[in-house]
Amino acid sequence: MKSILKIALGVIAALGGFLDIGDLVFNTQAGALFRYDLLWAVVLGTLGIAVYAEMCGRVAAVTGRPVFDVIRMRLGFGLGLVALVASTVVNLLTVAAELGGLAIILQLLFDAEFSLFVVLAAIGLVIVVAVLPFGGIERIFGYCGLMMLVFVATAIHQDPDWGAVAHGFIPSLSSSTLYLYFVVGVFAAALMPYEVHFYSSGAVEERWDASSLKENRMNAVVGYALGGVLACVLVIVSGYLFHPLGVEPGDLGTVALPAQGAYGETGLLLALGGMMFCVGGAAVDSSFSASYNLAQFLGWEWGRYRGPEKAPRFTVSWLIFLFLAMLIVLTGINPVEITEYSVVFAVVALPMTYLPILMIAGDRSFMGEHVNGRFSGLLGWLYFALIVVLAIAAVPLLLATNGGGG
Amino acid sequence: MNREDPIFVAHRLLDEQILDSEGRRCGRVDDIELRGSPPRIAALLVGEGLYPRRLPTRLRRLARRLAGPERWGANALRIPWEEVADIGVAVHLRGKAEELGLGGGDNPDRWLVRRLPWN
Repeated sequence: MKSILKIALGVIAALGGFLDIGDLVFNTQAGALFRYDLLWAVVLGTLGIAVYAEMCGRVAAVTGRPVFDVIRMRLGFGLGLVALVASTVVNLLTVAAELGGLAIILQLLFDAEFSLFVVLAAIGLVIVVAVLPFGGIERIFGYCGLMMLVFVATAIHQDPDWGAVAHGFIPSLSSSTLYLYFVVGVFAAALMPYEVHFYSSGAVEERWDASSLKENRMNAVVGYALGGVLACVLVIVSGYLFHPLGVEPGDLGTVALPAQGAYGETGLLLALGGMMFCVGGAAVDSSFSASYNLAQFLGWEWGRYRGPEKAPRFTVSWLIFLFLAMLIVLTGINPVEITEYSVVFAVVALPMTYLPILMIAGDRSFMGEHVNGRFSGLLGWLYFALIVVLAIAAVPLLLATNGGGG
Repeated sequence: MNREDPIFVAHRLLDEQILDSEGRRCGRVDDIELRGSPPRIAALLVGEGLYPRRLPTRLRRLARRLAGPERWGANALRIPWEEVADIGVAVHLRGKAEELGLGGGDNPDRWLVRRLPWN
C-alpha cells in the first residue's frame, strides 16, 4: 500500500513537468481554430514524450548517465556542441516564455505592472529553489498543478458532442498550411525536450538505480497518460466554447475562461492557480535543464543535491540563464509569441538530442539486460522518423503561416 | 574495467566523464595521448584549451580566438594514464582533483568562486 502511494505521488510530481505554457497556448488555439480535429496530434505527441522519457529514465537509472552525458559520449565534441548550442537557445526562449507567462497570470490575479511581476516571479523562483531540496521543488509544483483538474470537470460540465470529440482522435491531414502548422505545434508542445532532459537529470539527482525502473515505467505510462488527458481537455474546452464564436485566443487569460464559464469565479481562480503552478514548475524545469546540459557536456560538477558550494559553476550558470530570460521578457516581446518560437524551434533541435539516447538505449554494452526490446526499439525508431519529418517541416510552416497568424 | 584491459578508445574513453577519488565530477576526457608502437594510451588530456582541436579545421581559428589557444598547465592538462584507477560508468582517478589541477572552476579557493554570496 505504501509503495502504491509512493508511486502515485511520484507520478503526480512527474505530471507537474508535463503541462507548460506551450500546451496552454497551442492547445487552446488549436481548439478555437479547428475544434476537436487536432486531438489525435496531442495523443501522438504525448505518446512520443512517454517513449522518449521512458528511454531517458531507463538509461539514467541503469548507466547513471543523463541526456547530455550521453550526447557528449555518442556525438563527440563537435556535433555535441551543435546540439548543446541549439538546445540552450531553445531552453532560454522557453524559460523566457514561462517566466513571461507566470507574470501574466500573476497580473491577472493581482493587478499591478507587468514588468514588476516579471522581476518578482524570477526572484520567487530563486527563493523556492534555494529553500527547497530537489524532491520538494518537484512536489510543490506537481501537487499544486493538480488544480488544472478543473479543466476536466469543465469538459464534463460542458457536455460536448462526445461523438465529435471521439472523431477528433482519428488522424486526419488537410492541405491547409495553418492546420499543418498546428499539427506540428500541438505535437511539439507535448514533446518539449527540456522536460525529458530535466527528468533524466532528476533521476540522477534522486540516485535512481536499476530498482527504480518500475517507478520509471509508471511515470511514463500513468503520468503521461494523465498529462495527455489534461492536454486533450484543453483542446476540448476551448473547441466547445471558442470555436463556435470564431474567437482566436491571443492571450493567456483566455485559456482560463472556459473554467469560469462552467464554475464562475471559483473555476477561474482554480484554473489560474493551476496554470500558475504548471508554468512556474516549467520555468524551474527549463532553466535547470539549461544548466544541466551545459554542466554535463563540459564535465562540471552539477546537481541540486550537491548544493551551491560544491557546484558553483552549475549554480551560477542557472542564475545567469534565469537573468537572461528575465531580460528577454522585459524587452516587451509578447510571451505568447516567444512561446510559439520556443515550441517550433524545440522540434527542430529535437532529433539531435533524441538520436544519441536511442543509440545508447539500444546498446547492450551500456544497458545489459535493460537494453531496448524489439517493441521499444521499433517504437523509438518510428518516433525518430516522425520527429525528423516534423523538424524539417517546422520552420517552413512557421514562415508560411506567419507564426500561426494565418 | 581494468586499466590494462583492451578498450575501445572512441567508444568508451574519449569524451567520458572524469571523477576524482572522492567522486567529484572534474572534467571530461577531451583528448587522448597515444605513445609507442603499437600505440598505448600515455595520458588523458583535459581542459577547455583542447576544445578548438576537436572542431573541424575551418572552425579552429575562430574557436581559438573565442576559447584561447591551449596553454599547458593553464587551460590544458595532461593526466598520466597511471593516475586512472578504474573505468566504469565514468573514468575514476586515484587522486584528488586539486592535486591534479582538475576541476579548478568549481574549486572554492579560487577567487571568483570564493566571492560567491553563498561561500
